[in-house]
Amino acid sequence: MNPLLLVILIPAAATLALFFIDANAKKAIRAVSTVATGLVLLISIFMFVGFGDASYADGDVRADTFTANAGQPDEHVYKYGFEQEWIQDMGLSFRLGVDGMGLAMVLLTALIIFAGVMVSYTVEKRVKEYYICLLALVTGVFGVFISLDLFFYYFFYELAVIPMYLLIGIWGSTTKTVDQNYATMKLVLLLSAGAVMALVGLIAVWSDAGTFNMVLLEQHDFGKSFQMIWFPVVFLGFAALVPMWPLHSWSPAGHAAAPAAVSMLHAGVLMKLGAFGILRIACTYFPLAAVEYLPILAILCCFNIVYGGLVAIAQRDMKLIIGYSSSSHMGYVLLGVASMTLIGLNGAVFLMFAHGIMTALTFALIGWFYDQTHTRMLDDLGGMMKVMPFAGTCFVIASMASAGLPGFANFASELMVIIGAWESNLWLFIPAILAIWGLVITGVYLLRAVKDAWFGEMDERWKDLKDQRTFGERAPFVLLVGVLLLFGFWPQSMIDVVEQGVKPLHARIEAGKTQDDRAVELIRPTEDRDDGLEADKTGEER
Amino acid sequence: MFPLAQTLLSGMTTVGMTLPDGLTPNLDLLLPEFIVLGTAFGAILPELLLPAGRRAVATAWTSLIGLLCAFVLVVAMGPSDQLAIQVLDGQGGIISGLRMDAFSVFCRALVTGGGALLVLISMGFTRRMDRGHGEFYSILLFSLLGVMLVSGVSDLLSLFVCLELVTIMAYVLAAFRRNDLRSTEAGMKYLVVGAVSTAILLLGIGLIYGWTGSLSLEAIGGDVWDTVTAGGEIPAIFLLGMAFLLSGLLFKVGGVPFHVWIPDVYEGAPSPVTAFLITASKAAGVILLLRVAQAVFVRPLGLEETLHSPLAQQWVLVLGVIAVVTLLFGVLAALPQRGIKRMIAYSSIGHAGYMLMGIAAIAAEGGRASHGAQYGGEALLYYIMAYFVTSIVAFAVIIVVGGASARMPGGGDGAKAYEGLWARSPFLAVAMCLALLSLAGVPPMSGFFAKFLIIRATVDKGLFALAFIGAGAVIVSLYFYLLWIKAMYFKAPPEGAPQGADFHIPMSTRVVLWGGMIAMVLMGVWMPPFYDWAHDAAASLTALAGR
Repeated sequence: MNPLLLVILIPAAATLALFFIDANAKKAIRAVSTVATGLVLLISIFMFVGFGDASYADGDVRADTFTANAGQPDEHVYKYGFEQEWIQDMGLSFRLGVDGMGLAMVLLTALIIFAGVMVSYTVEKRVKEYYICLLALVTGVFGVFISLDLFFYYFFYELAVIPMYLLIGIWGSTTKTVDQNYATMKLVLLLSAGAVMALVGLIAVWSDAGTFNMVLLEQHDFGKSFQMIWFPVVFLGFAALVPMWPLHSWSPAGHAAAPAAVSMLHAGVLMKLGAFGILRIACTYFPLAAVEYLPILAILCCFNIVYGGLVAIAQRDMKLIIGYSSSSHMGYVLLGVASMTLIGLNGAVFLMFAHGIMTALTFALIGWFYDQTHTRMLDDLGGMMKVMPFAGTCFVIASMASAGLPGFANFASELMVIIGAWESNLWLFIPAILAIWGLVITGVYLLRAVKDAWFGEMDERWKDLKDQRTFGERAPFVLLVGVLLLFGFWPQSMIDVVEQGVKPLHARIEAGKTQDDRAVELIRPTEDRDDGLEADKTGEER
Repeated sequence: MFPLAQTLLSGMTTVGMTLPDGLTPNLDLLLPEFIVLGTAFGAILPELLLPAGRRAVATAWTSLIGLLCAFVLVVAMGPSDQLAIQVLDGQGGIISGLRMDAFSVFCRALVTGGGALLVLISMGFTRRMDRGHGEFYSILLFSLLGVMLVSGVSDLLSLFVCLELVTIMAYVLAAFRRNDLRSTEAGMKYLVVGAVSTAILLLGIGLIYGWTGSLSLEAIGGDVWDTVTAGGEIPAIFLLGMAFLLSGLLFKVGGVPFHVWIPDVYEGAPSPVTAFLITASKAAGVILLLRVAQAVFVRPLGLEETLHSPLAQQWVLVLGVIAVVTLLFGVLAALPQRGIKRMIAYSSIGHAGYMLMGIAAIAAEGGRASHGAQYGGEALLYYIMAYFVTSIVAFAVIIVVGGASARMPGGGDGAKAYEGLWARSPFLAVAMCLALLSLAGVPPMSGFFAKFLIIRATVDKGLFALAFIGAGAVIVSLYFYLLWIKAMYFKAPPEGAPQGADFHIPMSTRVVLWGGMIAMVLMGVWMPPFYDWAHDAAASLTALAGR
């Protein structure tokens, strides 16, 4: 059976199956969820490992690949393809396939949901509905990353938003800083607002090209004026989900109110849906407009990086710190996109992956101690390292990764983004410098969080806190830390995959730069590519 | 095939009555209608013959079986090229008649099938009544019969007669609980406002007839076309007539500014009746709007090609503005509502706005579809279908919850009655949650695909303002639908609220809820069969109009 089909069917089937399990059989419910997400994780790993071999020889197009612009410089191959005709009259097909970019995101989602399900063993309230919502949410997320039909792309996109409402509203927490009812409503409304805005843009794309097939759409020449009108619509729709400053306010509140696993998915994966949409839809279909508009993005992402970081410094609630930190780090992703260089784009996608893992780890740890302390305020916490050394160590590791310590995937990817921004022939060196300062800001608030929460005087209240002791409790954390280290020391393994999907996009943007009117004659960007790889290697050695 | 009708006709001839020249009855085609008519009379019989305790069940089952038979027959007979009760003038032109095209089949199937569901969800309600079971189902069936006939309308005279059959019966239904002050008020308000709108509708028909000298929709469309192509002016009297005609129809649909009756009537009427008003009665208005818009605005050239009447260009703006105002008023006014029926009443105005967007898309020129108005038409039909099922599921829950928690503070329709429903009755809560999400237009529910099609139709015709406003309104409506989900799922059950077995969910309602939930999800995920029906129905409308 097609692996991508399994990736979408297994969580969907598990969601349905959970409806028919007795609500009191908590063990069975957890087992079903764990097995389902574990299977998906295994499939994703196999796909990731076998991705290079799944290529096809020139001229021998295999049935399970979709190729856009075959023979052109921006040839774009989607592997593990699957197609089922849906509505013939509308030209609607249920079409699945991934390029390297999509596969990296699928792997990210699979890792986080598996860890999230295991972390959620501590949830005791309305377990059945919890896992139903969680699995429905993740079905939607997987669907977005692997759909090759605009209709289903949007279908899954919107599907991923609504379960969040229930997850935060029912299992979330109301604290002094955040009201969960307010946060969840704001989150859903803003995300949906972005989504429907993008929807109008997507239908406009259809009305110009006459197809929902994303492979064919990639070959369609949208006129320049059309691109100039619709790029902002589609872009802003997805940018609300990234979240790009100033559309970010739903995000920290949503993180803070959500239960641990939902924060993990939310910061780890959901925000990446937006960036993925920008790359897959907005920049791919509208390269001419992207060239014109992305400099504006370069300015806005500086606000993300610096403003988000400064606001994080002012927070005392751990989840709000990480929440603002996330929107700050998504600024790096946007900077990579705005750089329009191959290494920058590669770095952006790689950073989406690395940041997702790192932030999921952090939220899982906060969730772990919040379940016991019922407070996340830095002023209340302190000295927890003494009673929970394992959790503390993991938190320090995650903070170091976030602050860009070499040896973690975040370092490699952030470096690529900054080099990409520096290299681009715009005046993007200014954001690049700001971005480096952003890392310093990250260091400030994370080190302070580490100091205040984990070290120093321990309050008497915390002396009975429980550390992760059993294998089952430690496994998700070890998994995430391991992934961060693996791709930190061996970034090439990820970049090889990611680049397969990013290269065609970069070729289109390059052509957009040189061609005023039509993106037909494409120039192969060999120089950039070589520079990029070299720069990356030097970055590792440094 | 239909001996009864033939017997009737031969009987008429034997007693010396003759059919007027040019009248071809083709009564065979109306077999499903005759069955519903017969059932409507038959539903009174148990009231006369059976002891009091068994009347409720007997009348309900009679109606149900009658509607199901009609449904099966409608689907089995399929579309026909012939017109039922066709009246020709001397030259062979059609004056009047009921079309039996695929569009008509689609609508009649929807009404009979949906009517059967309405009967099913009414069973629990009528069982609580002491008397009047026969009348209730009989009047309901007459009204449904009216909607069936409305589906085939091809001229203004039958439009008026069929529509009145629906409306007059609805007045009675709205005031059915005559000892209940609010129900009586609802009936009275509906009657007064409805009578005025009927007068306006008639005036419009008169003005149109005054200029064209014809009642047939095709002939009217042809007159407009001929006048404009010959370089003539369309007189103001005709435009005024069109405005009045559309106003009368907008009253049925609930378009602003003809919406004022909706909240009070929908809230005051008994819940099964509100379900009827919101589905079948509203559908009657939409069906007629589609027929009129298609005939007057769109001119078929060949089987697939169409041309837009110059008149359409003027009317796009009017229809578009009405659609937007209706939509925005509906969703914004629904925001502060604290009773579920009132909230659904206002939101139904919003849904009417989406349907009117489909009509505006029909009137607009351009677009990808070579066959003219189809995207708007098929979107509209899909929307009605999805809205039908979703509303019936929602009202099935409202009837059960309203009945069980009538003594709660705020009444059976208040927010208190729904608080913590997930713990008190998970089944009802899930059904209501899915119905609300479908109304809001969230995948994977039917309402999502319906809204998607509507927005696609508007974007296709270049009506971007409509598309953006329509998309934005989804967010507003999401807010007030989510408030009810919040009440059901986030809040703890209030003290003394009915629990588990206190909710009497009759088997009939259970069937509707299960079937409805499956249908809602199917229409949002596995849409091909439903889409194809709507598509073919809309296509037949284009192909036939103006022949």
